[in-house]
Amino acid sequence: MELIRTEKVCKKFNQLTVLNDIDLTVNEREVVCIIGPSGAGKSTFLRALNQLEIISSGKIFIDGELFLHRENNATVSRVNQTEYKRLLLEMGMVFQSFNLFPHKTALENIMLSPIHVKKIKKDEAEELSRRLLADVGLTDKADEYPSRLSGGQQQRVAIARALAMQPKFMLFDEPTSSLDPELVGEVLIVMKKLAESGMTMLVVTHEMGFAREVANRVVFMCDGVIAEEAPPNEIFSNPSNPRTKQFLNSVL
Amino acid sequence: MNKKILIRVLIAAAVIISAAVVMSLSKPPIEDLTARISPELIENARTSYSETTNNYLVFNIARGRNVRTAETDTYIGFMGNIFQINDGFANSMANILFWLPALLNGTWVTVSLTIVSVSAGLLYSIFIALGRISKFKPLSVICGAYIFFFRGTPLLMQLFFVYYGLPMINPALTINDKFLAAFIAFSLNVGAYASEIIRAAIQSIDKGQFEASHALGLKYGQAMRLIIIPQSIRRLIPPVANEFIMVLKDASLVSIIALSDLTHTTRSISSSSSSVLVFIPAMIIYLIITALFTFVFNKAEKKFSVYH
Repeated sequence: MELIRTEKVCKKFNQLTVLNDIDLTVNEREVVCIIGPSGAGKSTFLRALNQLEIISSGKIFIDGELFLHRENNATVSRVNQTEYKRLLLEMGMVFQSFNLFPHKTALENIMLSPIHVKKIKKDEAEELSRRLLADVGLTDKADEYPSRLSGGQQQRVAIARALAMQPKFMLFDEPTSSLDPELVGEVLIVMKKLAESGMTMLVVTHEMGFAREVANRVVFMCDGVIAEEAPPNEIFSNPSNPRTKQFLNSVL
Repeated sequence: MNKKILIRVLIAAAVIISAAVVMSLSKPPIEDLTARISPELIENARTSYSETTNNYLVFNIARGRNVRTAETDTYIGFMGNIFQINDGFANSMANILFWLPALLNGTWVTVSLTIVSVSAGLLYSIFIALGRISKFKPLSVICGAYIFFFRGTPLLMQLFFVYYGLPMINPALTINDKFLAAFIAFSLNVGAYASEIIRAAIQSIDKGQFEASHALGLKYGQAMRLIIIPQSIRRLIPPVANEFIMVLKDASLVSIIALSDLTHTTRSISSSSSSVLVFIPAMIIYLIITALFTFVFNKAEKKFSVYH
């Protein structure tokens, strides 16, 4: 069953076209990695899905429903407000810069939105949060402020925070790009475990090893279009698009 | 540790305030004071007492028969005691001591005006700042105009307008209480300045914090209340402390509507005693209050930066 589908999604900033007719489908329990050079529009596409960027035109389907339809920078149709909120909460988002709340401890970061958005009781939220912290291997860091955690630990807390809303799928926006090289591994391990547990994931990444190992499908984006879309072994061993070949040669 | 210091500050403040209250409340009856003077002194007195104020009376006692040529001893009765005042340092100190109750009354007006106006102004400014950054254009424009007006015109003129101008527009708008008039003008003015401080603090918070709040499903108001404003508070404290100290001194403008604040009192004493001596204790009082404000805000800043 498809969880995300986009049709002819475009995003223009004035004259600059960042996304040009993006058609992409992500099915349930699938891990899709988006790779490509910087400026290709990968992050913008991810951010367009959960409305951090508003697309110029195109259709976004979430969980089978037409979530948003826009043409010429104007909204043609959108799901009603309650559905909109519900569908937004089906997407968990992990940012490149973690964006943990610095004035809350790791545990409070995770508990915050279950309590204030889902209106779960405090002790239930705490139990859930402690379990998630244990899942990402940070049981002993529950009461630490983010400034006392390493980058890798912060990103793991951020993943746990997104999971606390029990999303149907997760969006990862270059989750390891701002990490020191020796800290990348611990985050990738958590993501791999998450993929193995059956979570649907859409990952923008520069970690080719991760894409090759975990992804069901790899999407190569370049200059605002999807240049190639194929299973990892195919795209890494035998890319059909010369642009893909050039990119892979420069990063591998 | 923080609590200990806070308790010490509170105790010190309580002692100062109660001393001030006792000094300004104790008005010993004149008979009480005269009873303590020896009978011959009273008999010799050409002028039994030349001056009475709330708390003290001054006896100018001339020695010798001819008033014009006689040397004068000045005795002052104060809080149930009689002191002989000579010229020089002792005289100055005694004078300062006698002015102190009046100065403390003025200080009370200055400090209370500062605290209530800045507090109220800060309260308005939160809403003005949120209005200013609101995406709803008319609200943003109204708040912008408010800020433009109150920052762009002198506070003195605003004060003048509230006290003297409003009654001319409509007698129903007359504000008889000078303190209330000063409070209105000052708090509106602080509201404009502080709203820019708050807007800057809110907008200095990393955009990622908003994005994370959105991704977690928090509403705009929740994101503001739970995420953005708590983080801005620490950045707000230094400019807000500045605002307090500025208003403390701007409060001297209330002389224009003859409200007896510290500066106004000082000037009255200075002109009635034909001496500039009174400015020394007045300035020291200003410095002490500024130091207290600074101390409190430094503590607050430390308290709010635990997570850094």
